[in-house]
Amino acid sequence: MNVSVDLTSRESIPSWLAYGAPIFTIVAALVVTSIPLLWEDLSPLDVYTELFVGTLSDVAGISDVLRIALPLFLAGLAVYIPLKAGIWNIGAEGQIFVGATVCAYIGLNVQLPSYALILLMMVAGGFVAGLYGAIPGYLRAKHDVNEIISSLMLTFAATTFLGYLLRGPMQGSGGQTATESLPDRAELPTQFPLVGEIHPRLHVGVVLLGIAVAVTYILMTKTRLGYEITFIGANPEAAIQAGISKYRIYIISFFFGGFLAGLAGVAEISGVYGRLFEDFSPGYGFTAIAVALLGRNGPFRVLLAALFFGLLRAGGTTVSVSFQVPSALVDIIVALVILFLLAAEFLKQYRISVDLERESEPETSPGTEEPV
Amino acid sequence: MSLLSGIAESTVRLATPLLLAAMGEVVAERSGVLNLGVEGMMLSGALVGFAATAVTGSAVIGFFAGVIAGMSLALVHAFLCVSLKADQVISGIMITLLGTSLTTYFGQSWTGENIDGFSTIAIPALSEIPVIGKALFAITILDYLALLLVPVVWYLLFRTNIGAEIFAVGEDPETADTAGVSVFRIQYACVLIGGAFAGAGGAQLSLAFTKFWTSEMTTGIGWIAVALVIFAQWQIWRVVVGAYLFAAIDALSIRSQGSVDGQLLGQEVLTDLVNFLINPQVMETYPYIATILVLWYVMRQGNLNELGAPRAMLQSYSREQD
Repeated sequence: MNVSVDLTSRESIPSWLAYGAPIFTIVAALVVTSIPLLWEDLSPLDVYTELFVGTLSDVAGISDVLRIALPLFLAGLAVYIPLKAGIWNIGAEGQIFVGATVCAYIGLNVQLPSYALILLMMVAGGFVAGLYGAIPGYLRAKHDVNEIISSLMLTFAATTFLGYLLRGPMQGSGGQTATESLPDRAELPTQFPLVGEIHPRLHVGVVLLGIAVAVTYILMTKTRLGYEITFIGANPEAAIQAGISKYRIYIISFFFGGFLAGLAGVAEISGVYGRLFEDFSPGYGFTAIAVALLGRNGPFRVLLAALFFGLLRAGGTTVSVSFQVPSALVDIIVALVILFLLAAEFLKQYRISVDLERESEPETSPGTEEPV
Repeated sequence: MSLLSGIAESTVRLATPLLLAAMGEVVAERSGVLNLGVEGMMLSGALVGFAATAVTGSAVIGFFAGVIAGMSLALVHAFLCVSLKADQVISGIMITLLGTSLTTYFGQSWTGENIDGFSTIAIPALSEIPVIGKALFAITILDYLALLLVPVVWYLLFRTNIGAEIFAVGEDPETADTAGVSVFRIQYACVLIGGAFAGAGGAQLSLAFTKFWTSEMTTGIGWIAVALVIFAQWQIWRVVVGAYLFAAIDALSIRSQGSVDGQLLGQEVLTDLVNFLINPQVMETYPYIATILVLWYVMRQGNLNELGAPRAMLQSYSREQD
């Protein structure tokens, strides 16, 4: 008896799968994460209730979710925009570091009134990170250098170079590998216009969540540039035939990506920590890849994904304190969610049928019955 | 003299985990599967190897436990990328995240413990040779093993049928499949070998190098291994040279005072530049920058063959379509 497994490409994704897949991945990830929790003699149910319900039940928790979702969202867009052009920006983490470094440098060295200073930090931080991000775009466009590898390498170049800056030129007093604290005027305020302070940990930078989603939506759907980016991503040959410059689009989409990731770095330093130190980002730039993958159908989806991972990380931090588990628990959940998501992608793309009786057929040579 | 032999000694010891991990990565990538999970696999090899040694008292058992730990994560990667045709980049990065977070989580109780681990084996007479004697002939069995594996892996890849099949799969899985090569089996095997080597590299770190466990103790060696494979353009011998080169940079940077006294050629600017370039932290960026430069230089010639990258890397293969 022959057992054969058949894979057929799906022509369309059934709606139960489209909506079920994300839920399935989250549930599966939480089930597997129960193992390390049970190892520590904890009830997974208690921990998860605290993580999700507990976090969302007070202003402090919701503020944390928004605060953490901000860098995740900006860095997620940094992956999303080049992805729409068909190229991978794996280097958002490095671009966050560049933006943060520029932000700290300007904050410590430039004398300007608060609003002007913060604006300058954002524009300059984003711009320099954008240029840094544009390097893989340029190398890909000009010399066909794999952008995945170059953007990844540039990330590690940036993170190790920050180690140099913090032990050398930018090191503050006190011998720590950190800069001096930024002056108050360089810090994003927590007083919102009209509303006032919502929570001491929630800085006004979170309005960027709304601004960035709107700008990206308009850019991608309403402008010629957005149209060209999507065209290149969907069908590079046809797009080039139509006179769109691959060179220009690759560099611009990577620049935009780097700019947004740089803004994330600025928001973290100026809004959250108030100074620059080595491990300020718990891998936001890498989680951002997952954010973009989950949300690749549009900027609003990216925002939803960022909020979800923001909730996981905010709740995970609370849980690790109250249940005394290592905070690495959050990263375990994040990694598992995405690994299960990859598995679910497969179910979306292929229909699997297992046939127990079928006789084995001679292999037809590939390419002869290519679906049109 | 003692400074030189000190640098030579640490170069060899620092090179071992890098060499092991990079050799495994060459095998995996040769079959067309990029494995960005090396760092996570090394960490799991380091922790599981350490814990198994502490529990059983045998470093050998610990070492094999570390190898198996590396392979288990590799199995996840292979299942996702080969069977489920998932994106290799995302899967790899998430496996590194999973390996890092799992080892941080479970490793907490092992921090601060000590083990005997592997001790150095000094070959009489040879180890007395000045400068390179201690570096090459007074090392642990794992360092010898890594060096022995170089010709083995080279032979496997370049002189056997299996090696030819691995190449065929990495270059053009469709043709390989038509010729009767099992693409899935080859890719699974290569990814698992990659995981085993990464696990071995991690185990070397905790069992022979530091002899203690600390979270994230690989400090990016897995990523340097990924860089090294590209830097070496997927050639085993170049991987060896690169591993020692990168390890020497590392060994130098640990000892470097990070400054040159006096003026170089009477030029203050030049002195500053040299001081900047030999700063230990600045030197840490060299492997990554060198890798980009190599990629850029080779691709600028416009010859993909010269680069030596497996043509079908990052593409998942399925029989039924395109």
